[in-house]
Amino acid sequence: LFNVDHGYLEGLVRGMKAGILTRADYHNLAQCDTLEDMKLHLQCTDYGKTLSSSEDDLTVSLVDSKLRENLVAEFSCLRSNALPPLSTFLDYITYSYMIDNVVMLITGALKQRDVAELLPRCHPLGAFDQMAAVGIARTPTELYSAVLVDTPLAQFFQDAVSESNLDEMEAEILRNKLFKAYLESFHSFCKNIGGATKDIMCPILEFEADRRAFIITVNSFGTDLSNAERSALYPACGRLHPEGLCLLGAAQDAAQVKDVADRYPAYKIIFEEPEPGSGFKTLEDRFFEQEVKLNTLAFLQQFHFGVFYSYIKLKEQESRNIVWIAECVTQRQKSKIHNYITIFQGTEQ
Amino acid sequence: MDFAIHNSQSRTIVYAKMPPPLFTTRESEGSSTLLDEKLLRFMEQLELLEEKRASLNSLIEQGWFSMSKARYSMGNKHVSPLQYASEMEPLVLVHAKTLDSGELDFSTERFEQKCCKEVGADNRSIEEIGPQEKGVRRRIKPKEDITKKAVNEETSSENAPEVTPVTKSDQNLQQDPLKWFGILVPQSLKHAQLSFKQVLELSAEIATLQTAVLSTRQELKHSKKHKHEEASATQLDSVAD
Repeated sequence: LFNVDHGYLEGLVRGMKAGILTRADYHNLAQCDTLEDMKLHLQCTDYGKTLSSSEDDLTVSLVDSKLRENLVAEFSCLRSNALPPLSTFLDYITYSYMIDNVVMLITGALKQRDVAELLPRCHPLGAFDQMAAVGIARTPTELYSAVLVDTPLAQFFQDAVSESNLDEMEAEILRNKLFKAYLESFHSFCKNIGGATKDIMCPILEFEADRRAFIITVNSFGTDLSNAERSALYPACGRLHPEGLCLLGAAQDAAQVKDVADRYPAYKIIFEEPEPGSGFKTLEDRFFEQEVKLNTLAFLQQFHFGVFYSYIKLKEQESRNIVWIAECVTQRQKSKIHNYITIFQGTEQ
Repeated sequence: MDFAIHNSQSRTIVYAKMPPPLFTTRESEGSSTLLDEKLLRFMEQLELLEEKRASLNSLIEQGWFSMSKARYSMGNKHVSPLQYASEMEPLVLVHAKTLDSGELDFSTERFEQKCCKEVGADNRSIEEIGPQEKGVRRRIKPKEDITKKAVNEETSSENAPEVTPVTKSDQNLQQDPLKWFGILVPQSLKHAQLSFKQVLELSAEIATLQTAVLSTRQELKHSKKHKHEEASATQLDSVAD
């Protein structure tokens, strides 16, 4: 019965998934000395002529943009053929990009950047009609009532409305509050769908919630964000809720954050000291690795929506990998080039 | 040493041309020693300069690389020229002082973060170097304004350069450039800023050292010339005798 409505698209996404770069592909890319070489290698993959069609100078930023365009094209193909509730599910995926775009437009306006300059740099997956007007709003309340009230983001504004002027701090707070509401909403949506979708998606979203709580906490040290303000940004749909979040809210330094993580086996590993000799990985790197693991699991089950979410997220990681390799190539930092995360080993398809 | 035996009538007078009188020996020894000292100093300064330059290059590379890491975590378009304004207030000033020896000394001074009420009281004018830009520089800039705006203080030289008044900006806040990218930025971006801060200080040191090296080289030249002149004067003297 799933297949009646969604079978074609599931088949489609699994086909796309087969084109995800393998270990061997990354190995070839890492051997390149220039971006041109990388372009040649990418032509042999599913990316084909994506990079070749461009007239502009090949820069890392351009590579990133082209990879993004590719993903957007694939997503649009899926979305345009989707029926409810898959269509709603796919829309949920786009909301995170919308939130990012809104914040980029606000901070761009703070820097007196022209809207015409900012719009092309926004993520296409998060495009909406009222984007051009976002930069005009002075406060979150104004943003809501004047610009976003008719967009899907309106539903996430319950806790985010405020009369404070939108400066860098307020923009950051807004971003995280919107994201918190979005994640919690997405989580209950998946829960309501039930079945395999719930089994696959809820752990992924819970992990996302916990990751945000950890990262927000760690990055807030040394900034003007108070503990109370910080606690208000933690999404509540993760495993850390409620005790872990309470403890994180009170944490004053990295050691205390690690204490909190040690209480949860899954997170203890992430915060563990690396073995001497292994390459240094940032906290974000380790979270990305864990995210990739969770997302690859989605393809082991059938007849659920998780494959769509996971495909998008894995393709994003792939973009990050390729861009990372490109940066190492252009900056001649070959020693760190292998910091990418291999997604599929290449034996399974 | 020259020996001359003069046979003068019945007397044999032996003149031994002694080495130049003690006074002249010390002088030429003295100038040789001085020359050696200067040469050693020149070498030391050069070595130090090379070390600092290598350090500078490595810090700059590190900074750019940390920025790439930040882009990896935050998203490629979130660490880019879109995040900063084309007009900015410098946080670091470079002071150029001319010392008594004639050498230039460069030092950096960092502004304390001011709140908006206090700004405006600072009357030091800032000299704009380079073309005034209307447009946007596409190249991604390091954290702080690398086009150093120099303030000359207490120079012994008469000629103070023309100082153009600072262009008025709407944003009176001198802001930590890290905030351009958000409040909750990852560690890698903070590392990048640290690297570039060190680059600024090192640049001033290198500039000072460079002028010192050039001046030492000049001194060396003069000393060599002087010694050469001395030596040929002494030779002429001895030939004349």
